[in-house]
Amino acid sequence: MAYDLDVARMKALSPSPLGAPSASGSPAPEPSRPVIKLDHLSKSFGTFQALQDINLSVLQGDVLAIIGPSGSGKSTLLRCINWLEPANSGRITVGDLSLDCSKPVGKEQITTLRRQLGMVFQSFNLFPHMTVLRNVSLAQERTLGRSRREADEVSMGLLERVGLADKAHQYPVRCSGGQQQRIAIARALALDPKVMLFDEPTSALDPELGLEVLAVMRELASSGMTMIVVTHEMGFAENVSEHTMIMADGQILEYGPSREVIRNPQTERARRFLRAVNDR
Amino acid sequence: MTWGHLVHIAYGIPLTLALTGGAFFVGAVLGFPIMLLRESSFMPLKVAMIAIIAFIRALPPILWVFLLYFGIGTGLINLSPFVAAVAAFGIIAAVNMAEIYRGGMVSISAGQWEAAHALNLSRLSIWRDVMAPQMVRVALPPSATYVIGLMKDSAIASTIGVAELAYRGKQVSQMSFEGLLPFTVVGACYIALSLPVAWLSRTAERKLRAKVAR
Repeated sequence: MAYDLDVARMKALSPSPLGAPSASGSPAPEPSRPVIKLDHLSKSFGTFQALQDINLSVLQGDVLAIIGPSGSGKSTLLRCINWLEPANSGRITVGDLSLDCSKPVGKEQITTLRRQLGMVFQSFNLFPHMTVLRNVSLAQERTLGRSRREADEVSMGLLERVGLADKAHQYPVRCSGGQQQRIAIARALALDPKVMLFDEPTSALDPELGLEVLAVMRELASSGMTMIVVTHEMGFAENVSEHTMIMADGQILEYGPSREVIRNPQTERARRFLRAVNDR
Repeated sequence: MTWGHLVHIAYGIPLTLALTGGAFFVGAVLGFPIMLLRESSFMPLKVAMIAIIAFIRALPPILWVFLLYFGIGTGLINLSPFVAAVAAFGIIAAVNMAEIYRGGMVSISAGQWEAAHALNLSRLSIWRDVMAPQMVRVALPPSATYVIGLMKDSAIASTIGVAELAYRGKQVSQMSFEGLLPFTVVGACYIALSLPVAWLSRTAERKLRAKVAR
């Protein structure tokens, strides 16, 4: 409870309390307009229907938690949004870009799509042969055309923000899982995304290390970042995200304000899932 | 056997090195595109490459040397024995290096590709910045083993008259009417040449691993 107030207060204070040291802070569009919109999105692997007719809007500054049993399509949904997994049909709209998934899509469009999206993976996927600093700087130089010095400056600011400036010149293997995930978050933030996608960011971590990652995500949420978080962390879903969506069998079972969805689910399938989660 | 004989054998060292180095260079360069074709998602191409690689590896090296020197080198275009030998060993090295590179690529987790794509890195950057440096680490030890094997195989070039170590060993044994000593000297040369390769590879591997291993 007290924690909720905290988030609310931080949000009221400023859009970015710690200040993302980004060169091009994207101007916030009018709050009513969705940053991400999915229309009738479907995806199948062979005969397996992974996503069925998904419709979803995520507003600027919204934090959406996606929960649900394994194999329900949560991760596939995230991976479709940034085109790691091309959807079969439907429409993905991110900012001003709108892509029809049933038609062939050009490389530049995928690039434009991904430029607006930061992705954090369950298994961190840092580049093991680069220092922490290099991990965060590389894509800034390659895709945003920043100089090495500019990129490193941005990187140091972000590493500071996730509390790991002292690890800048280490290699990832010297860092704990929680630290690696925070570095991965910094790496994604370095490209000034409009939306951050998190694919079970704490599932590979023990509970204590998970907490430090969740703390960073909470800070990010309170700074006004739009986030979609696939997670099993019910605490995060209930306390940090405005909205929660429950998925099963490639469909949206429930969607709404987090507390309502989690405390008072309407469908039997969602109740069963939440009961299983709470019984643990 | 005289000092003169010893010097005569020693003159074979540069040629053995050039043969090995040349063939390895050809293989290391050609191996990469061959690996990419072998990993192509276009099935007919992939199957064709698998067949070609299996075919090249199936024939004994001496046959490739003869094919190139007597088959092509004297009939179609004029190839010197040295060039024919480098080409023959280069072809064999290329398919073997392709397999070594493939091992390096397979060892890189799918997550590395996904992260690179999610970060919007270009295809060139993915290969240059992310994949190649990781592949090199994995491919280095088997490559060093392969170079040493290639150097020993290069003795086959003596059969078409390339005056490398084995060829000169045979010459000296015929000149001095001795069998044991000249070939022992040749053997010692091969050992002496492989040691630095093995040492270099170990050192490089240790340096590269130290950074990324726990």
